[in-house]
Amino acid sequence: MLQTPRLVFSNTKYLLLGFTIFFGMLFALLLVSEYIFLAPYVVGHVPMGTEFGLLLIVVLCGLSSLVIPMNVFRIITLRGSKRKMGGGVFGSAVGAIAGACSCGPLGFAIISTFGSIGATASTFLTNYEIPIRIAAIVILLFAYYATVRTLKIECNIGKLD
Amino acid sequence: MNKLVILSVVVVAVVIAGAAAYYSNSETALPVVERMHGDVSTAMDSPVLGDPMAPVTIVEFGDYQCHQCYNWFHETKPLITREFIDSGKANLIFVDLAFLGRDSLSAAQATYCAEDQGMYWEYHDILYTSQESQIDNGWANSERLKAFAFTMGLDMDLFDSCLDSKKYEKRVQLNIAQAQKAGATGTPAFVIVGPGDKQEMISGAQPYSVFKLVIDSMV
Repeated sequence: MLQTPRLVFSNTKYLLLGFTIFFGMLFALLLVSEYIFLAPYVVGHVPMGTEFGLLLIVVLCGLSSLVIPMNVFRIITLRGSKRKMGGGVFGSAVGAIAGACSCGPLGFAIISTFGSIGATASTFLTNYEIPIRIAAIVILLFAYYATVRTLKIECNIGKLD
Repeated sequence: MNKLVILSVVVVAVVIAGAAAYYSNSETALPVVERMHGDVSTAMDSPVLGDPMAPVTIVEFGDYQCHQCYNWFHETKPLITREFIDSGKANLIFVDLAFLGRDSLSAAQATYCAEDQGMYWEYHDILYTSQESQIDNGWANSERLKAFAFTMGLDMDLFDSCLDSKKYEKRVQLNIAQAQKAGATGTPAFVIVGPGDKQEMISGAQPYSVFKLVIDSMV
């Protein structure tokens, strides 16, 4: 299970892509979920009772930074089907959207723009933020397993084990 | 001819009585005193918490169903109250930016019904203490809002008629418009207004340290 990611991330290009996805996504989600603020001062703050939400964000970013580069590797190096990348991207997107709709500027913009439909969607995503993030993590874990399995078969890594 | 005169008098009397009733209702629902803090008109907002003559005013834009507002209320506000409001260095005004759900609007209206009985801030506090994690799940529906008023010992006939008649619907809408005009794009958001109308916007449930830095830089 570890040999496949090791193969992919031995290439600096994919390692760099993984780091970019992790830190880019982490920064965006922490900003949207109001764990970090940029104005009037740059400051980080974890309110009491929100620690589990923060943990889920870190796990989500970590899994996304593993799954997406591995799928990119499969598509570019092995000319694999782009369809199989869907799970990773879908999981990451679902997890990201969950925290985006709240009382912050993004939720406010959605409700202001789309009216009652936006409010209903925002309410759903806010009320079920934690379960949605957990579901996104499950999707990403499944995508990770599927990607590793596919790469093992396509690269004949199994023979090296 | 006489009938025509009598009819005209009756019509004029009805129009005058209607207009008088309309304007007297409007006056009770909407305070007419102009009140400005920096660029923010706060005439329709909450009563001032703390010394009205304090050099710094914190204008908070909030929604009673917003969990970030809940976090700010429980973590940052107590420190601000202790260090700045109780000491007379700052006061606080709450402006409704009720946008998250249908119960946000009625909760905001209920606070002004409590204000009619001199209990605005007590009601405000009970809402943020009783907030539940889900929006519009019923924790702030009409029955619960009345139950909060009952536990506070408010006159329930007055409170019920105020809430049921949506007496302060327009006031809350004006507050929302005012919050948007002031540049609030989410809740909680704050405008800190210092001496000479110096002002700084703080967006989000930021920690006490940020408020301390901003307020200290103004006084």
